[in-house]
Amino acid sequence: MSIVIVDAREWQNMLDLKTGEKIQVENYSTEILRGVLQRHHYPGDVDQLSNRWVSETALDLIGQYHPQLVCLMYSRQYFISRFNPLSETERIRLLEEVFSEVEFMLAQSGYTPVIVGTGNLTEHIAELDLNGLDGLAISGNWSARYAGLHKPTPKDLAYLSTLPEIERIAARQELIDLFPGAECILERIPEYLLVAKEGFTFRTSGTPGRKIYRVPGISYQIPVATPLGNVETITGLRKLVRDNLKDHKIALIILEGIGEQDFRTPYSASKNSMGWYYYEPGENQLLTMSTGTQQVFAFPNGYNYLEENDNKEFPFSGYFKKIPAGTIAEDSGFRSIAVGNHSMHTHMVFGADICVECFARNLYNQGCMGVIHRTAEIQQENH
Amino acid sequence: MRCNYCEWRCDLSAGQAGVCRMYREEQGAVKERFPMQWSACSVSRMESMPFYHAHPDSRTLTIGTYGCNFSCRYCSNAHVARRDPLEFKAEMNGMAPEELIRMALKHGCQNIVFNVNEPAMSLQSLLKLKQNADQAGLPMGCLTNAYTTEESTEILAAIFSFLNIGLKGFSAEFHRNYIGIGSIDPILRNISRLAKIRHIEVTTPVIEGVNDSELGAISEFIAGIDPDIPWHVFRLLPEHEMKSVAYPSIERINQLLQTARKKLSYVYFHNFVGSDWVNTVCPDCGTRVIERFSLGCGGDRMDKFLCKEGNQCPSCGRRIKIHGRPYQTDVKEAT
Repeated sequence: MSIVIVDAREWQNMLDLKTGEKIQVENYSTEILRGVLQRHHYPGDVDQLSNRWVSETALDLIGQYHPQLVCLMYSRQYFISRFNPLSETERIRLLEEVFSEVEFMLAQSGYTPVIVGTGNLTEHIAELDLNGLDGLAISGNWSARYAGLHKPTPKDLAYLSTLPEIERIAARQELIDLFPGAECILERIPEYLLVAKEGFTFRTSGTPGRKIYRVPGISYQIPVATPLGNVETITGLRKLVRDNLKDHKIALIILEGIGEQDFRTPYSASKNSMGWYYYEPGENQLLTMSTGTQQVFAFPNGYNYLEENDNKEFPFSGYFKKIPAGTIAEDSGFRSIAVGNHSMHTHMVFGADICVECFARNLYNQGCMGVIHRTAEIQQENH
Repeated sequence: MRCNYCEWRCDLSAGQAGVCRMYREEQGAVKERFPMQWSACSVSRMESMPFYHAHPDSRTLTIGTYGCNFSCRYCSNAHVARRDPLEFKAEMNGMAPEELIRMALKHGCQNIVFNVNEPAMSLQSLLKLKQNADQAGLPMGCLTNAYTTEESTEILAAIFSFLNIGLKGFSAEFHRNYIGIGSIDPILRNISRLAKIRHIEVTTPVIEGVNDSELGAISEFIAGIDPDIPWHVFRLLPEHEMKSVAYPSIERINQLLQTARKKLSYVYFHNFVGSDWVNTVCPDCGTRVIERFSLGCGGDRMDKFLCKEGNQCPSCGRRIKIHGRPYQTDVKEAT
């Protein structure tokens, strides 16, 4: 059983992660988590202290739980860049703050870093309006490049083929063929995947009302900085980390919305793509890193999540309908924690023993949330 | 020439756009500046609006436009409501009524709810949409601040069969200092009127130390109209100019609501994750008749609908106030 503790400031609830039912469990792990959540109120996605909240929360957890693996996600720069017009000076300052935060974290913790940038951001040029199609187009809240097309008419396809801003209209089988062997649920994959040229996004129902300034750009490769060795593709990160856990306390640090062009420390490039497809920041990219296998079909771009998500289990976990298997911290044989300020990704993609994440949706800050996986197995260390 | 849509009754002569900046004068008539231009069009659940007693568990197409006639210092949607609509011209989502209806049907929606800003800012577009929605059998609802003139309140009632009205406080001082309007009287008048002819629910966002002392008067007022009007008290997470204000204490606010619960049949306290006060219990016998789950800003949902015959308490048979019927096929109705 996985336990959730939601902290809405001065108000904590304990629930079952799967069912959402209230539960009451008191043990070593829940005591740690309750205290950490009380001491570290989430300041908000775009608050100046948002990334510092990740570091301080993690340091508090490290001090009590002594994990061998720490997974961290820093996302403030991604939110700010996406929804605010930044001058180049402001943008550079924002990036410098992120890397200073990483330095602070590493200096305080002494962990060996594996730092990963999830990809470049680029200026948003325009939206391509798909609302008038006969078929149903769906583009996730955060996706820039991809939209799924369901039940299109020949007229839709003819129209879309005239749009110069669309780079590719890929039939379902074309995407499946690109990732041979990747596990997929056929019905989840849209009949067509629309691929926009860099800088363009798709407007579909559900596209947020906020004005967008920067979006994920071309990132066939992403930067990885670590003294532990190079990884050719992001599927190699899991093995690199797990192979070294025996000898190193490792901090896997994910920097959202930072790619090769903005990385501020020496790195090696890691393949983030297959053919014409590259991963945008999000659950599939993170799951690919965490599981060591291509996860393009876990939540296919543009899939019709509305058909599946009414009253589903795992109410705190976004699209997720089960806890992903084979994640980086699961069955690693070592203690692990995860902290991040991009909501439910933190507790679902790493499989860490204890996870803390913000509870904010569309930038509305409702507090923070902790998850304990495998609570029965977490015991106090004997020093 | 004066606009007659809301109680500001703005002068639109000489090219002025009024407080909301959504109307203009054209050949002696008040016209929308941005007709059929939408800021949002997405799919949600009825409980997330929130409507707890209308079309339970239905899937809804939510829409919104731009502008507002209030200047709430804590506005949660200032990025849409408080800025000049002209700033959004390039991003506006132009959709004709038939396109919106088609979108709703493609997504399997059972109704349409206007919920981003104030519907009085876009009444002409909404009237057109209403015609198409009627043809498609899609009821329309809205969230409104009810600061409308008597005439436009009738238009609201003509468009929307269910309304959630924001009654943000009860004193003139609060409305002057935090909402930016001179009088609460038109709002109270319109709530009374709309309650007679439409399904209404009322929502009050509470800010501790600012308007929590007015909760008693608000509940008294609602009970005076109809004690069965559902009342949603929102733990407000202030945004905009009040971003730094402390979050209201859940325990203290809940304590304040104890008196209201004796006067009103359905008092809910939510807008925070895991709220204990989102279920409907029978006002007579206390049996739980509708169970819900609240994800706070992430949305509320209905879990179990336990009424018999659509609206009766399964224990004592009392009629529970329900507008419409529960929709989902997997609804666990009592047998």
